[in-house]
Formats: sequence, C-alpha cells, structure tokens
Amino acid sequence: MIAQTVLSMLLIGVVVYAASERRRSPVVALLSIIAATAGLYFTWTPDHATQAAVWAGVGRGVDLVLYIWVCISLIVLLNLHLKLRSQMELITVMARTIALAEARRRFSEKAAPPQALPQPVSSDWGAFPD
Amino acid sequence: MRVWVVIAAYNEASVIGRVINEVKRRGYTVVVVDDGSSDRTAEASAAADVLVRHPINLGQGAALQTGIDFALERGANVVVTFDADGQHRAADIEKLVQASRTADVDFALGSRFLGCSDGMPVARRVLLKAAALFTQLTTGLRISDTHNGLRAMTRRGARVVRLRQNRMAHASEMLSQIAASGLGYVEVPVSIEYSAYSLAKGQTIGDALTILLDLFARRLYR
Repeated sequence: MIAQTVLSMLLIGVVVYAASERRRSPVVALLSIIAATAGLYFTWTPDHATQAAVWAGVGRGVDLVLYIWVCISLIVLLNLHLKLRSQMELITVMARTIALAEARRRFSEKAAPPQALPQPVSSDWGAFPD
Repeated sequence: MRVWVVIAAYNEASVIGRVINEVKRRGYTVVVVDDGSSDRTAEASAAADVLVRHPINLGQGAALQTGIDFALERGANVVVTFDADGQHRAADIEKLVQASRTADVDFALGSRFLGCSDGMPVARRVLLKAAALFTQLTTGLRISDTHNGLRAMTRRGARVVRLRQNRMAHASEMLSQIAASGLGYVEVPVSIEYSAYSLAKGQTIGDALTILLDLFARRLYR
C-alpha cells in the first residue's frame, strides 16, 4: 500500500509535469500522459497488470509497471533534451543580437569615421593669468 | 545591384584571407561571420567589408543566418553563401547571381554533381546522393546536391529563410523552407575543389545521423 501510494504520487507528478509542457512539446507531453496513466492504472489493479504483462511477454505485473516507469524516465529525459535545445535557440538569438549590434557600430564607424575632436581655440577667455 | 557574399567561418585562419580576397577581387561585398573562433580567424578576415563576431560558437547555420540578416539590413539585392574552407570557386558566384535574376527564380543552388567535383571520395559521393534522395522524398524538391554551401538568393528569397538549426542540419532546413515557400529555384553547375583541408572539415556518416536526429528533434517542440 505504501509503495502503491508513493508510486501513484510520483506518476501524478509526471502527469502534471506533462500537462504543463503540452504547449511547448505536445508529442512528449502526450506520450508522458499515456505512460503515466497506464502506470497509475496498473499500480492499483495488479491483476490486470499481471494479465497485461503475460500478454506482453514480460511475465510479472510488477515488472510491467517498472518498465513503464523506465519509459517515462526516458520520455522525461527527451523532454529535457528538447528544453536544452530550446534554451540554445534563445542563446542564439541573444548572441546574434549582440554580434549584429557590434557589427553595425563598426560598420558605421568604417563608413563615416568619427571626426577628430576640435582643437581648443586660443583666446583670452578662460585663460589663466601667469 | 548589391550582391553580398556571406562567409561563415570557424577556426579558418589559415585559408579565410585568401578566400575573402578571391571573392572581393570580383567586386562583391563580403561579410564574414566569425563563429566564436579560437584561432586568429577574425584578424585574418581584415580584408572583409564587414566582420560580425559571434561571442560564442553557435554553428554554421546560426552564422549564416546572422550574415543573411546583416546583408538584408544593409539593402542587399542578392545574398550569396560561400564556404570559408576554400573549396568553392569565386568565379561560380556570377553564374549563381545571373541565375537568381531569372524571372520566377529566387534561389540558385550550386550543384557539384551538375558541375565538377574532382577528388570527391566515394563514401562522400554515396552520402550526398543519399541525402539528395532523402530531401526529394521529404520536400519534393528535385535537386541533385543538397549540402552545397554555395547558393544565391534574391532579397525576397533571403527573407523566407529563417534558420533555426544551428549546426549542419541548416542545409536541409533551408531546403524545407524553400519548398514550403513555393518560391522558384534552379540548380546551377559549380565546381568543388577538394583538398585535404576541406575533406577534414567535411561531413561524415556520423554527421549525417546527427543531422537526421536534429531534423527529427526539431519537429517535437515549438
């Protein structure tokens, strides 16, 4: 019972996480939700899990739940990979913006070099007495 | 007509100067995008009209997009992409530019298989043929050379290109965008001069698998 409760809480966590990711990566979210829902079902219906396991050639129901958990872990890993790629795209945009801004500045300077500072005009105004 | 040649360079200090001079000798405006090189590529690119420097290494696709953005911003009518490793011939640029000026053509894509590719290893030839077949099946474009870095695009065409594949998969991504845009394209025979240097920088079967994975992964998120 304790193990079932803990596993159920973890699987519910996976469902919530997948739901929160559905806009960014719908395929991954859908796969996660399907796997986690199946895991939840089999966690509380061990007889069905055993029947499904026998049908799938796994043998024991508990092994089937374990395999589902491994699948979920791999899907979440894939999602992390996609998130990293997404972050990389943001970094690319930022790096490009910086690079282009710097290039624009240098290009403008090349096209119209900055004028030399005017020489101070000699006059009595502001001159210090010896 | 303002023709801008975009050269993406990463650690190409030994060859980039010669490549820039060959292109500039033909009167084109050259923008070099130094993609976070750790050697003296930036210093060796002094002859370029514009040097854009990525603060970190992002990949050839990202560098090309940066160069295309800059060229468009400066009013380029035609944007040409040109590899930095010296395997392209600057003389071919004119053929591409002329082809891109044809009515209903916005992309002129260089093809080594229609032109000359002396010294190409057999494994690379097989790999490129397989890539061409894959592209034909996935995009419907009838082209013979999918990963040729020498291509010209009109201003309208360049605005369609939005590369999000930073690494080598950008070539396939660009072809997908060309197909999706419905704009006209034509293949132009060009020559590739293989050297030990360019072969060392070329793609392998492992890179091809990475490209496939990148293209697949890009479809999984927004």
